[in-house]
Amino acid sequence: MAESCTLLVVGTGKGLFILRRADGSDKWSIEGPHFAGLAVFSAFLDQRKGRNEMWAAPASWHFGAELCKSTDMGKTWDMPEKRRIKMPASTKTALENIWQIAPGADNDTLYVGTAPGGLFESHDRGATWKLNSGLWKHKHRKNWAPGFGGLCLHTIITDRKDPNNLKIAVSSAGVYQSSDGGATWSATNTGIKAYFLPDQYPEFGQCVHKIVRHPKKKRTLFLQNHHGVYRSRDDGHTWHEIENGLPSNFGFGLTASSSGAVFIVPLEADAKRFTCDGKLRVYRTRDEGETWQPLTKGLPQKNAYEVILRDSLDSVGTDIFVGTKNGKLFASADDGDSWKLIEGSLPEICCVKAYTI
Amino acid sequence: MSINVHLSGHLKPFAGGEVEVNLSGEFATVGDVLNSLWQQHSALRDRVLTEHGDIRRHVNIFVGSDDVKRLSGLATAIAGNDIYIFNAVSGG
Repeated sequence: MAESCTLLVVGTGKGLFILRRADGSDKWSIEGPHFAGLAVFSAFLDQRKGRNEMWAAPASWHFGAELCKSTDMGKTWDMPEKRRIKMPASTKTALENIWQIAPGADNDTLYVGTAPGGLFESHDRGATWKLNSGLWKHKHRKNWAPGFGGLCLHTIITDRKDPNNLKIAVSSAGVYQSSDGGATWSATNTGIKAYFLPDQYPEFGQCVHKIVRHPKKKRTLFLQNHHGVYRSRDDGHTWHEIENGLPSNFGFGLTASSSGAVFIVPLEADAKRFTCDGKLRVYRTRDEGETWQPLTKGLPQKNAYEVILRDSLDSVGTDIFVGTKNGKLFASADDGDSWKLIEGSLPEICCVKAYTI
Repeated sequence: MSINVHLSGHLKPFAGGEVEVNLSGEFATVGDVLNSLWQQHSALRDRVLTEHGDIRRHVNIFVGSDDVKRLSGLATAIAGNDIYIFNAVSGG
């Protein structure tokens, strides 16, 4: 029987790196960069049915973004002559970037989130793709406003027990949900503040940065907003602030470990996008956001002006990983209690995806 | 009529490892040349043009020394025997 290991797929501004750590070891190996010179904001390892198909979305400043696949755990990648993800002619828009690759509820469905705010779906393991027209034609779309990363659809949450239950988030449109498999969508932003709009609690227009589901409680979700940290206990329909103990409510990354703990890294503010007080502190809650505690052991606590992007905080089991825009990659093997630098000079880290294989 | 299409080195993987492609035929416009180029190397199309057939923002196409974005784009008339497809000097 093959040894199991922890696998990290790390997308950076200059390529994709793959790191491995054998179980019982604290040593990491690293391969890459794949797609050298290209920015990779999204990656996903499809382990369903034991297939181990890896997906990544390299984006060239010059030649555009594409969705690539590896069937040998990232050693080699395809780059199809005709790109998999293209905006249909009827949209009169062009693909800007691919921000998310996510599994569907069944074993063959995949979703991709793009700028300009498009959700693509494949029901044949990525062989063919189509734009979800229900979301694309939503009546709110004409009033959605692009954020710094464009109109990016960066979060896709599915439900293994209910394929019709889909949630997505777009900056700056907010949270949208479907209860019919994506045919129709409703904005579900009640309680989320949009301080930058005249109506600060609008139906939509919030700049949601990331959402995760509680690993054990299906109807409980957590949300990092553009200023604001929230929890929902009704499957993402209404949201309530959970900021007790945080130095700031601004940030991007968000993850939940198998223990039920939730992790974020607060940044000073919208206009000051770096870690608070020059310290890299991961904040953890073990009571669903009632209180937050700073985690500092092994993390730099002096002159640490780091930025953690929305997909650069991830977990598998109780192993937690944080990647920074300064190219540092930290790992915790004890649910955040202590941390270790595993790479210090990677390019700007755009996404970190953790798996056990 | 013979046209040499000179490619940025970044595009070599999509042109069979070549940086120069010779095309023969009757070409009135840059678009005609590119359509012929796609016949030989179809993977170049999605990298040079958007899905709607527009030249990508950070890709430049020259007829001789003239940037076609400053002329008539893909409808620019062919002059001479050389077309250049380069990435712009932009990026992070």
